[in-house]
Amino acid sequence: MSTRTSAVLAALLLSPSLLAGCGGGGQIGDSGGSADAKKMVLIPGVAAEPFYTSMECGFREAAAAAGYEVDVQAPARFESTLQTPIVTGVLADKPGAVLIAPTDDKAMAGPMKQLKDAGIKVVEVDTKLQDTSVAVSSVSSDNEQGGRLAARTLAELVGGGTGSVLVLNTKAGTSTTDARAKGFEEEVGKYPNLKYVGQQYTDNEPDQAASKVTATLAANPDLIGVFATNLNTGEGAATGLRNAGRTGAVNLVGFDASPKQVEDLRSGVVQALIAQDPATIGRTGVEQAVAAIEGKPVNRDVETDLVALTKADMEANSKYFYKQRC
Amino acid sequence: MTSLARRLASANTLWIGLVLLGLIAVFGALRPDAVLTVFTLQTTLVETSVLLVLSVGMTYVIITSGIDLSVGSVLVFSGVTSAMTMNALNGGDATGAGWGTVLVGLAVALLSGAAWGLLNGLLVARAGIPPLIVTLGSFGAALGAGQLLSDGSNVSGVPDVLGEGLGTGTWFGVPNLVLLAAAVTAVGALVLGTTRFGRHTYAIGSNEEAARRAGIGVTGHLVRVYLLAGVLAGLAGFMALAYFRVASVTGHDTDNLNAIAGVVLGGTSLFGGVGSVVGTVLGVFIPAVLRKGFVIVGVNVYWQPIAVALVLVAAVWFDQSRRKARNQR
Repeated sequence: MSTRTSAVLAALLLSPSLLAGCGGGGQIGDSGGSADAKKMVLIPGVAAEPFYTSMECGFREAAAAAGYEVDVQAPARFESTLQTPIVTGVLADKPGAVLIAPTDDKAMAGPMKQLKDAGIKVVEVDTKLQDTSVAVSSVSSDNEQGGRLAARTLAELVGGGTGSVLVLNTKAGTSTTDARAKGFEEEVGKYPNLKYVGQQYTDNEPDQAASKVTATLAANPDLIGVFATNLNTGEGAATGLRNAGRTGAVNLVGFDASPKQVEDLRSGVVQALIAQDPATIGRTGVEQAVAAIEGKPVNRDVETDLVALTKADMEANSKYFYKQRC
Repeated sequence: MTSLARRLASANTLWIGLVLLGLIAVFGALRPDAVLTVFTLQTTLVETSVLLVLSVGMTYVIITSGIDLSVGSVLVFSGVTSAMTMNALNGGDATGAGWGTVLVGLAVALLSGAAWGLLNGLLVARAGIPPLIVTLGSFGAALGAGQLLSDGSNVSGVPDVLGEGLGTGTWFGVPNLVLLAAAVTAVGALVLGTTRFGRHTYAIGSNEEAARRAGIGVTGHLVRVYLLAGVLAGLAGFMALAYFRVASVTGHDTDNLNAIAGVVLGGTSLFGGVGSVVGTVLGVFIPAVLRKGFVIVGVNVYWQPIAVALVLVAAVWFDQSRRKARNQR
């Protein structure tokens, strides 16, 4: 090694500014640059789903009213591998705040922590990380309450009838639908006329949901109610009941209120829908982000209301229908 | 030699058929009141129809020692284009439309499927890109294109006549969807087993270079095989539209794997040159019967995927070791 190289190395090692700047090991995305505080980005769980579109509408409206520039970047599918590059892309842009629906409660912790470390205020909307130290605030529906509401609604629809009830879940380990199923299971136990036959997983595939409904009908001919915990299970359940000729005879309670589901409620394919309030989630997320940027007090956890829609009262509650576009 | 190969293939089919019968017998013994009913038979058949049509095309592709990962996405794309065309012809909502609209919708679905199949075929056969990569590309691209067209949401407004005619209608107690799938399967089996097109498919899968030297137009034939898989995926998309009465853009992520599993379970070799449509029929029904049976019998939900996987791997392992024993004799 030449003396010149050694001198350079020594200078590098001793350079106090470099040591202070890096503090030893660095992380991707550490590079400087200051945040554009007047900009806010929403990263939904998946592109162009009516639920997230309605959230986006609330987000855009509230952010514009607060004088913020907005951007929305959604992954094509609800997957952490697709959402991570979006997060790192947004990181390079350095907005003042990011509203994000993490697609995985653990895998998204790393990328989201990079946002936080870069001085960007992170607000979780709809879903959340297990690590509660990353976000300044989490705004979501109380999914367990939604499940309980579904059980109560089903009991009302059934009236005095007796029979078996089934829950169609998506994939094991999906926190939102698991919470809905859990709430339903707890509440349905209070109604002795409803016999809970357990939940079935469907991999979020409508054809599996249809098959599990007809299989349950074969095993339990007294099936009187089905709680489908999301859009795909609801569509599959409706198909299964239609094939069995039991549409309407078996009460189907769906979750969410996208246009197709609302149409199905109107035409009697579905008997009730448990609707979230995504627009309010988006608006509240903006409020919390603005408060965090301005250094005002922030609510760590905000839960928005859910509402049960039945054919009888649906038109009065049309503000809860999800939108395809703003 | 060919007669021996054929006998072997039919014997394999026999064994898979016995596995299927065995499963039905076990579930039937456990819950005879729920399993051995017309209702369970009807629903199991209907629920497997769409996958069966996909798997017939997949059988041809795999026999040429290719693979088509794009079928589920092409199904979604065809369903979306078909539903949107039918809606556009009827001022945005085709629910009340007649059979004319339905036929246009069918044509659009088949053409959409054909377009993706042709693209796959040209890239595989002419450009010489490995089928795994080509169809992995179209798997993403067709789904993306479908979501782009539909704005990422499911497309509703499917004509009632289609839903009630093809989707839930029956003919002497046999669901129409099942009849359609059975017709497609029968034609697929006959073409593969008895025509020159079928023989060329096997020949290319056994040894592509030998087939080329024997004067078979390998390039053109491969394009036609992928085209066939695409058209059948388009038809499956139309059938799914009739069945679910909505073009779902999120619900077909694993259709490709389900179709491949059914084909391989049915005795078709992933290395090409060996296989049959009859085997595929049996292979497609084994997972379907397992899933249904487990729910009826009440197997713990977390055990279900494990048990399905175990039976799949065990059946193929059994088949392989039996084939090895034969070859050594």
